[in-house]
Amino acid sequence: MAHKVHKEVLPNGLTILAESNPANVSAGIGFFVRTGARDESDRESGVSHFLEHMMFKGTPTRSALDINLELGNLGAQANAFTSEENTVYYATVIPEKFKAMQELLSDMMRPALDPEEFSMEKKVILEEIALYRDRPHFYLFERAFKDYFGAHPAGNSVLGSDESISAVTRDEMKAYFDRRYSPSNMVLVGSGNFSLDEFVADAQKLCGSWENFPVTRDVPRHHGSSTYKEYRRKTLSHSHAVLLAQGPGAQDDERYALSILSNILGDSSGSKMYWELIDKGLADSASVDSDERDGTGCLMVYVSTTPSKLDDVVKTARSIVSSPLDFSDADLERAKAKIVSRIVLDGELPMGRLMSLGMEWTYRKTITPLSDIISRVRSVSRSDIQRALSQYPMTDWSEYRLLPE
Amino acid sequence: MITSHQLKNGLTILVEEMSHVESASYDLMLPGGFICDPADRIGAGLILGELIGRGAGPLNSRQLSDAFDDLGIRHGEGVGSDRYAMSGSLVSDSLPRALELLSWMVREPHLPEEEIPNIQSVLLQDIDSLSDNPARRCMVELSRRYYPAPYNRPSLGEADGIKKTDRETIQSLWKRMFSPRKAILSVAGKVTAADVIQRVERLFGDWEGEEVSIPAFGALPKNEYFHIDFDSSQMQIVLAAPSVLFNQEGYYSGKLAVSILGASMFGRLFVEVREKRGLCYSVYARHGSTTSYGTVTAYVGTTPERAQESLDVLLRELNGLKSTISAEELDRARTNLKASLIMGEESPGARAGSNAQDWWLLGRIRPLSEINAEIDKVTVASVDEFLSRFPFSPCSVLTLGKHKLSVPTGLIG
Repeated sequence: MAHKVHKEVLPNGLTILAESNPANVSAGIGFFVRTGARDESDRESGVSHFLEHMMFKGTPTRSALDINLELGNLGAQANAFTSEENTVYYATVIPEKFKAMQELLSDMMRPALDPEEFSMEKKVILEEIALYRDRPHFYLFERAFKDYFGAHPAGNSVLGSDESISAVTRDEMKAYFDRRYSPSNMVLVGSGNFSLDEFVADAQKLCGSWENFPVTRDVPRHHGSSTYKEYRRKTLSHSHAVLLAQGPGAQDDERYALSILSNILGDSSGSKMYWELIDKGLADSASVDSDERDGTGCLMVYVSTTPSKLDDVVKTARSIVSSPLDFSDADLERAKAKIVSRIVLDGELPMGRLMSLGMEWTYRKTITPLSDIISRVRSVSRSDIQRALSQYPMTDWSEYRLLPE
Repeated sequence: MITSHQLKNGLTILVEEMSHVESASYDLMLPGGFICDPADRIGAGLILGELIGRGAGPLNSRQLSDAFDDLGIRHGEGVGSDRYAMSGSLVSDSLPRALELLSWMVREPHLPEEEIPNIQSVLLQDIDSLSDNPARRCMVELSRRYYPAPYNRPSLGEADGIKKTDRETIQSLWKRMFSPRKAILSVAGKVTAADVIQRVERLFGDWEGEEVSIPAFGALPKNEYFHIDFDSSQMQIVLAAPSVLFNQEGYYSGKLAVSILGASMFGRLFVEVREKRGLCYSVYARHGSTTSYGTVTAYVGTTPERAQESLDVLLRELNGLKSTISAEELDRARTNLKASLIMGEESPGARAGSNAQDWWLLGRIRPLSEINAEIDKVTVASVDEFLSRFPFSPCSVLTLGKHKLSVPTGLIG
């Protein structure tokens, strides 16, 4: 299980992390860019995600079709995602195609942003916005985060709106790219069955000429005050509620204790929420999570049920999180066992390991071997949780509900 | 290395030893599924699938759940169209305990009556919430109309059937369905075959039961165009047509034909509908086969103003595939399929699942070399031959959204 992680930083600031494991039958590669919706101005709302699409739409030497066909020829499972604070491009291939995949993905990181492709892809983005508009649960999360974070950029919409996407220009996107996609704001990760030396040498060749420039991000901590808000929708068969309160950020030590506590309170199986709400047939979803962001974070309770039961379900959920220390030692050990097992299973797949290495570096500029992460989880005690709660007390909840009209 | 061993009661044990992992997975498949639910209690199987986890052997519901969680065993019990399936992934030291818990759930479930209303309530909520996911809903609605009974039953069950199911229904369903005859227990990961076989023999050796009879797949209903009015931002458009069976000549030609058409980013649908025209975010075609039926499904989701054009382009691509495939296109699809077979089986969970699936369909496990040889045999001519036998039309069409579309009469046939 323990393979050494190799780290290298190119003169232009691009960090390379590589964990080679010859026992894997595949290899994963990914670029993690520390940029997302929170780094956009109001006018740019949605441009990070739109740009992520455009990275597949051609480079100075490849057309969009070339990229699609080449991904096909490599048998690659390639994709990308954009969040409030990260944009990640990744692919899994069989080992003999790794070198070619690295060349292609690196080329894609310097896009052409062709104006015709830009106009065409704009239509696709508008369709994607329409798709999510039909998913009430997604709609609620977007609105709730926006309202909770207020002026803090962590609540910015990833997709943007019909208006912002329609208005944004190709040159504005280019300006955003030129402001955010510096090699020193990115990390390249390889994981699985590939040659480490070749990977690093190729990265130097392919990415070494990218121009470095400083990229900044303000990371203020958000202090929300508790509010209550309702949103209404015409076609809605279920009601949903999200409760948010201040939680640890991705760099805070309390995150271990609070993610274990979240598991005790609201994991999908065997948690307090499960026994009180799902097992009893009151709700079809009920969870507690710690959503750790760059320099800030929130604790989140989510429930979904038939409209007539929502009041009772929220009341029960609130009562569970209002006595967070009401758990046994066995509950604590069980939550840890679930988390450790997840870490071990995910760590066996190149993509699982790649995501964990890339995210950890992006947020904390550290590399932690799996065995250390596991020891850290195992060492969390009741008093650690108590201490974390004194910092993030699970008391001032803001509540957001989505109800039928 | 894969070892197979059949117990006297009919249960087949499959074990794949994987030396480079720390984890292990199991997959138990029992013939049955929601096609075997009583006709007036569709959804009873779903309740049974849930109820076996609510107390079994010496453990009550809470203790059973805790026993899995104490070891961090990720597990799931469910019902598919033609089977009950129970699977789990774990750190390999926990396998003995996991198999013991599994044997209790299968052989000695308490099936507590007081839990039934709670399960019913969650399942009914699930049915209710289908409207909140139009892409999922249109697939359920199409299956309901496209397949013959009982294969057209929704995987979420029917509200009426769920409400009518009582403990007696569950008890008799469990007695009838949970049988070792033709059952498969597949294990993969950091394990030794001899140890697993011995353990399973001890836990399941004296399990008895009759063979479950599975209803035959009848003739497909007449094709039709169905429209469901729904006030949503996007329209859902989905088509279904018959295809080759899993064990039939031309299976891989069919699979590759559909991949050329609708595989994610290099397929013709993605390129023509999304990339060149920007008509949608999601468009694809899929191929699914068992030994009794095969289906090609094509899907596009788009805003109402662009729905007609999307359907027209989709149909043009479906109908224009035959005699236009290049050797390069075929090779791309071939490379892709082969790579996905290798990469899709990296984890013990995937290995256990695919070994069980092979055994389920063929009574043996095909080595990768055999599958690759079959894929290599596919030529442009054999794909065209497949397309002559299964031309994607006539087909059934379903739209869900603000208005009907114009569907060529010849298409429905």
